[in-house]
Amino acid sequence: MTTSILVVDDEPRYVRLMEANLLPEGYQVLKAYEGQKAVELVAEKQPDLVLLDVMMPGLDGFQACERIREFSQVPIIMVTAKGEEQDRVKGLDRGADDYVVKPFSATELLARVRAVLRRAQVSGSAFQQAIFNHSNLKIDFARAEVFKDDRMVFLSATEYRLLLQFAHSPGRILSSEDLLMNVWGPEYKDDKEILWVSISRLRQKLEDDPRNPKHIVTRSGMGYTMPPNEE
Amino acid sequence: MIEETTESASLNSQELEAMYAISRVVAQSTELDTSLNEIINFARPVFIFDNVVMYLLEGSESLEPSYARAIGRGRSSEADLAWGEKTAHEIFRTEQIVVRKEVKGDFSKDRMRLRYFLGLPLMVVGRLMGALVFVRYGGPPFTPDHTQLAEFITTHVAQLLEHQQLVKRLSNLEAERRLERLQDDFVATISHELRTPLGFIKGYATTLLRDDISWDEETRKEFLTIIDEETDRLKELIDNLLDSSRLQSGTLRMEFQPVRLDTMLRDMALRAGSFHENLTIELNMETTGVQVNADPTRMAQVFDNLLSNATKYAPGSKVSITLKAAGETAHMEVSDNGPGIASDHLKNIFNRFYRVPNEKTSVRGTGLGLFICRRIINGHYGDIWAESEEGKGTTFHITLPCEYVDGSLSDNQPM
Repeated sequence: MTTSILVVDDEPRYVRLMEANLLPEGYQVLKAYEGQKAVELVAEKQPDLVLLDVMMPGLDGFQACERIREFSQVPIIMVTAKGEEQDRVKGLDRGADDYVVKPFSATELLARVRAVLRRAQVSGSAFQQAIFNHSNLKIDFARAEVFKDDRMVFLSATEYRLLLQFAHSPGRILSSEDLLMNVWGPEYKDDKEILWVSISRLRQKLEDDPRNPKHIVTRSGMGYTMPPNEE
Repeated sequence: MIEETTESASLNSQELEAMYAISRVVAQSTELDTSLNEIINFARPVFIFDNVVMYLLEGSESLEPSYARAIGRGRSSEADLAWGEKTAHEIFRTEQIVVRKEVKGDFSKDRMRLRYFLGLPLMVVGRLMGALVFVRYGGPPFTPDHTQLAEFITTHVAQLLEHQQLVKRLSNLEAERRLERLQDDFVATISHELRTPLGFIKGYATTLLRDDISWDEETRKEFLTIIDEETDRLKELIDNLLDSSRLQSGTLRMEFQPVRLDTMLRDMALRAGSFHENLTIELNMETTGVQVNADPTRMAQVFDNLLSNATKYAPGSKVSITLKAAGETAHMEVSDNGPGIASDHLKNIFNRFYRVPNEKTSVRGTGLGLFICRRIINGHYGDIWAESEEGKGTTFHITLPCEYVDGSLSDNQPM
């Protein structure tokens, strides 16, 4: 099977540059000129690697990287014109595997691509479905949209992040502390009530009977869980 | 357990003490959540409730919970507790105090099935910021006395929010200041612009240098053309930078000589037409023979800039150049019918390093072009400004003092 690489840059000349160097190596090249399109292409085509530019209008590289990480572990190399430490850290923190600083030489780029692909092969691909189903609930990760009985449900950013915690590991019991840390941040670790309110709101929006929930179930004394699909 | 207190119409000493304590918290607040915790602690002995939730306006369409405490009955019920969603929504709609009672089935066995809600709007300088909702299980119902106490608490929480907003605004202002300073910092602002063409040159050159591939003639030419164009762009960028700092420091020397504006504009249009393939220029010479004292190279720079902007920001649009004379002033206009510039930005476009933020396009630029134009025109004792309407187009106006107008010179007379 050929290895496919998604190249994302708002400058067509960069896309062309990378394509010109990647094609002779036998890679298949997918192209996107904006962040949102890149997220959708990752969901749709499931490339083996993403080369992601940071400075783009609309959804920038950092944001696109975060969105991709909501549903995919595809290796990501950030391509940045700013080489400052804080930018490199920001990229890596958002889930990038490596970064290249512009200007770069063609051979350096190719070497990084090979290295990251090698590492990915060792750790094995952990690609998730771009669409998640849980009985009458559906999540489209690429578009960050949630549907109940095929009707779109409006969730706030916090509610969506909270729901993702469950969707990413159905069957696992998630403690209040973990949920608070992951969704709200470490300083909210002990703020249980805010989690309760948010779970209550999520249930109002997603459950047929919020008092008898099927999607997000309380496991008394332990936390909350999304029961695995019955199949 | 809830401790029951007897409430009277006037404030008792315990209540007064609580009020003072709450006021003190607000005055000394540094961190919102900690202060809210303290307020809730002080309020509890004099004002009974089981849950309290603060909802804040997120965007303009919904209230999001941002603080919640369950201190009374039913802490073990966790997410199944009542959080006063409906009450909050009603406040969002009406901006009024809301008192609600909710019965969920038979409450004789389970007092938690009987809920009383008291919701109060959080107003900051007359605007709804959110809502504070108190919940009581099984009663007693909220009385006007309770409402008064709750109002006192709410006013203080609103003050906390206002305080927090001010702190936030201050830090935003500081961030803006920092940004301005950064914009003065030539290196920081320009490094990205310099790296882009450099990146292409380096990237395509090393691509051509790869010894494992022999590129065909067509590809080689494509890459070399890109390198060539990006080198020009880099040169232009450096020229602009040098000009702008010379103009800034007043060390750019102008070589004045008599220039006929109609001839000059015709030359410009011709040059620009050959430079930008898809550019259509319409010339309206309402007068001819207008002569000014000018530096032709610098004037060419101004018009090159304006025309190249038109091709970048109003692609596909026809550009018209008009020459008029009014009294002793020559008036030139360069207009396009592109997307236009929002009025917020219009006043800044001649500032050094200013760029109109645009989500849709990723046109490259440095924010130097119009700054240079203005400095050059001012150096000619003239004026330059822009008028624009979003969706309709942009017109740049340039006026220069005429040195000499030959023959029959008014606008109205046919030539």
